Amino acid sequence: MLIARATPRSCILLFLLPFSWICTSLFAQTANTANDSTAASGVRATHVLGLEGVKRNHHGTLTVQPSGLNFEAKGARSTIAIASIQDVFTGQDSRQTGGKVLTVAKMGVPYGGGRVLSLFSHEKVDSLTLEYRDANGALHGTVFTIPLGQAADLKKQLVALGAHASIPVESQPEKKDDGGNKQ
Amino acid sequence: MKPNRSLLPVTLARIAGPALLLCIICLGLIPRGFAADTAAWSIQVEPVTAEEGQLPPDFSMAIYEDLLAQLVKTGKFQQVYRSGDHQADGVPNLLVLHMTLLNFERGNQTQRAVTTVKGATKVQVHLKVSARDGNALVEKDVQGTVRFFGENLKATNALAKSIAETLRDASLPAPTAAKAAGQ
Repeated sequence: MLIARATPRSCILLFLLPFSWICTSLFAQTANTANDSTAASGVRATHVLGLEGVKRNHHGTLTVQPSGLNFEAKGARSTIAIASIQDVFTGQDSRQTGGKVLTVAKMGVPYGGGRVLSLFSHEKVDSLTLEYRDANGALHGTVFTIPLGQAADLKKQLVALGAHASIPVESQPEKKDDGGNKQ
Repeated sequence: MKPNRSLLPVTLARIAGPALLLCIICLGLIPRGFAADTAAWSIQVEPVTAEEGQLPPDFSMAIYEDLLAQLVKTGKFQQVYRSGDHQADGVPNLLVLHMTLLNFERGNQTQRAVTTVKGATKVQVHLKVSARDGNALVEKDVQGTVRFFGENLKATNALAKSIAETLRDASLPAPTAAKAAGQ
């Protein structure tokens, strides 16, 4: 009886309702996972530059421990002692996803289709910059990119453990769309 | 009378052997001769000085780290020291490299990928290399740009390469001559 009276509009609604429910639950799950990973098991990060013994653009995990900031990747591990950290900065940037493979693929798409793809294949990331000194007093700098919204948490943890930061964690300026603000 | 073909490889080996040896000797001598005149200089790199908020910290650190790597690559200097390194205190023939930010334009990788002509990232610094007495030996404005492919931070690598090339091609005086001129 119910099926016989169903209009096309109600059919669409019947389809959309469970779909939106599934989507909402999925997003909620992702957000929870991100927060948990910051607190306990570390943050997925990309080493952009600066760590000795670790290759550039190496993916790994950043963990804040009482001894310092630990970066672990496949076949590479490095720790920056909390006491040696002179300053901690966070920022935001936007970058294209897909790496070299997608870049080459986009170049191969005819009629400028690759450019259209570029419009949708970008993501925003947080950057974490550390200035620290080694045993000889020499200045080092290291930069990591981490998923959006997790840099501030890492900075808070580092400052709580005693790392020096010239810009306090609380004074976070409003996020800009073009990326490039610093905290 | 037929030529003896079995002797051909032997003859070729007799000619090619000494020729190869000569090439190896020449290739070995050229870089030594090139580097000999300034190998006695060491250099200490200071980070970029800029007004607060003009240059993001990740760019500042990336310029510093990239430049250190590029200067080591040139082989022009006996030692390349980081800022604040106590090991550099007792080095007699030490040059100090200072950089002052002139211009910074943060581009956008997506804009570059979509339009090709917009979204370039540019960093321009004033480079000054001076001896301990403050006598400037090299002064130049250098720029690093990323116009087409790559992330914004790639501009720092381009800048570091340009600075390293400038210093490699610069004719530095012999350390003793520079000291005499300073007195």
